[in-house]
Amino acid sequence: MLDARHAKLAEVIVGYSVEIGEGDRVLLESVGQASPLLRELYGATLRAGGHPEALIALDEAEEALLREGNDAQLEWIAPDLRWKVEEGDVWVVIDAPVNTKRLTNVDPARMGRRLKAREPIQNRYLERSASGEFRWVICGYPTQASAQDAGMSLRQFEDVLYRAAFLDQDDPVAAWTTFGDRLERVGSFLEGVREIRIVGDETDIKLGVEGRQWIRAKGLRNFPDGEVFTGPEETSVEGTIKFTFPAMMRGRQADGVRLRFEGGEVVEATADRGQDFLREMVGLDDGSKRVGEFAFGMNDAITEYTGNLLLDEKIGGTIHMALGRSVPGTGGLNKSGLHWDIVCDLRDGGEVYADGELVYRDGAFLNGAS
Amino acid sequence: MRDPRVENLAELIAGYSLDLREGQVYRIDGEEHSAPLAVALYRAALRRGAHPYTRISPSGLDELALEHASDEQLEHIPELELMASEQLDAWTSLWGTVNTRALTRADPERRRRQLSTHYRMVNRRWERISAGELAWCGTLYPSQAHAQDAEMSLADYEDFVHGACHTREGDDPIAHWQGVSETLTARAQELEGVRELRIVGPKTDLRLIVEGRRWLPSDGKHNMPDGEVFTSPVETGTSGEIYFAFPSVFQGQEVENVRLRFEDGHVVHAEATSGEEYLRALLDTDSGARVLGEVAFGLNYEIDRFTRDILFDEKIGGTMHVALGGGFDEAGTENKSDLHWDLICDLRQEGEVYADGELVWKAGSFVAEPAVARA
Repeated sequence: MLDARHAKLAEVIVGYSVEIGEGDRVLLESVGQASPLLRELYGATLRAGGHPEALIALDEAEEALLREGNDAQLEWIAPDLRWKVEEGDVWVVIDAPVNTKRLTNVDPARMGRRLKAREPIQNRYLERSASGEFRWVICGYPTQASAQDAGMSLRQFEDVLYRAAFLDQDDPVAAWTTFGDRLERVGSFLEGVREIRIVGDETDIKLGVEGRQWIRAKGLRNFPDGEVFTGPEETSVEGTIKFTFPAMMRGRQADGVRLRFEGGEVVEATADRGQDFLREMVGLDDGSKRVGEFAFGMNDAITEYTGNLLLDEKIGGTIHMALGRSVPGTGGLNKSGLHWDIVCDLRDGGEVYADGELVYRDGAFLNGAS
Repeated sequence: MRDPRVENLAELIAGYSLDLREGQVYRIDGEEHSAPLAVALYRAALRRGAHPYTRISPSGLDELALEHASDEQLEHIPELELMASEQLDAWTSLWGTVNTRALTRADPERRRRQLSTHYRMVNRRWERISAGELAWCGTLYPSQAHAQDAEMSLADYEDFVHGACHTREGDDPIAHWQGVSETLTARAQELEGVRELRIVGPKTDLRLIVEGRRWLPSDGKHNMPDGEVFTSPVETGTSGEIYFAFPSVFQGQEVENVRLRFEDGHVVHAEATSGEEYLRALLDTDSGARVLGEVAFGLNYEIDRFTRDILFDEKIGGTMHVALGGGFDEAGTENKSDLHWDLICDLRQEGEVYADGELVWKAGSFVAEPAVARA
């Protein structure tokens, strides 16, 4: 089925998110079933003067590798992947899951081994991304599997996703530009702050952010998008936090996650469900005990939890933290094979203090910063 | 549910055609509909300790490129392709698409430009295949489009494909193809003693000189299915007439009932009951296009019908085919052309072939087992 929004989405990705130009070498990749959008992106890239290649990653091949591969195979980096992060200009990934739980029963230790082996690749592409040599975007795509996770029909989920991407507006690029101005105001306010304290349900936690940069995520690296994030000072995190939404990672999840931090490290990790998995991930390596990212979700066109991280971490009125690797460009220094975002809803009674002053309540900034 | 025939085919290609080994880097190319075979190949490669990865594309990209790309974009070879050509140890191309006629109405000049970019990549691949540095095999994963071209249901077509590959349930494909390889190798050795072939059949009496040329067995290493022995004839030696009862397909376009007359190696007269203009255009591709680059015996008797796909048709047991255009370096050819167009001559009912005057083939098969195999 042709959805006119595919063509509109492709134009926004090519013209705004990664700004494809003459001679750019562009890899268009879909994880799962998104051929209609891949074709739209392929045509749009050609019209913009780029050299596109469109590829579909096979879920079942990845699953076979994780289940049946030997250690050398698990740790092997394919030449295409290496080329992409060393030489590519643009990488567009479409996240179109066919079954979000396909890797649920894979041995986490084997998954961890693969993640660990790919850490240098991750670092390299984030480095080249931070220096502007490499533009990439992860783009959501509605599938039955993600609609099912959200507890709705595919048609309903399409509307949720495309509304979050401002594709329901006449000029989505103008809408993203205006929204970007708002994120800019929040970001410049936060850059004057030394310490953030979050208070909420079973939550009282402090993070030092002095001298760190806040990235205004306005649809360039994620699509849809809408957050302002940084990498907190590595040893600064103190206190406890209870995450409202499940912590998901490649088909596995932990519900009711509570973390207690001392000196920047997790010292206690409990979950109502999935505790073994939580501890496995927290214990992956040295850096996985520390917070690599702290962020405010700012997209008010996303109002409900859908079990789809790309959307959930941007829900207006939430914050999220990632255990593990920090993102170059934020000033964060934490290294890890893990980068695991977990979301906490502050819309019902949550408060944020900046250097002791209440600046945010019930999911919104008070000081006019936004 | 996994189709055991697809698992058999994957094992055959990984184990026999490519002989994949531990640590080898192996790429699997194909369109989206071929995913089940790509996954089966991926798993077969893992079992052999190789490092497989896939390159699966959505269908319809060539059409988009023809519509939207500049000439410069059409001529661009992606670095990933160059790297693959230079570095891979093993490679599988899964042919097959969801509409075999999607490009029939494309602008011929732009399509030519696109294809010539493609052939530049393929030529580099063949240099490394010929040098023994790269194992490569092309095969086809059945689709409705190919079943439709073959005038069958998809279920019947799948049976046909797996029959031709000897990958039905309960088959022992590797043992089968090892046997085929021995027979074809013996046949090729025997043909190397021949100076002149004469093909006699319906509206056909053609003489070809093959003296000094190498005959090569196609035994399932580079194509699956396979089953032919072929060489490149001496460029000036072809004379007489040949008639092709099957439609002759090139790049999705058909020419029917082609008749060619040769003198001193060159086509001097060509006619067809339909598509004659296209036939003449192909003959005018370049100076090598009127000369034969290949003559071959089709020897896969599991392929018993015409399906409009050259992977199968050129191997139909009991046929011969010749190709207009470029020949094979390994066979000793001197003919160069951008064209290589296989035309199939059905000899199953009335055909006879004489080697230096002696009857060696009648009604679709050799009259004797190859001498070397008998010995």
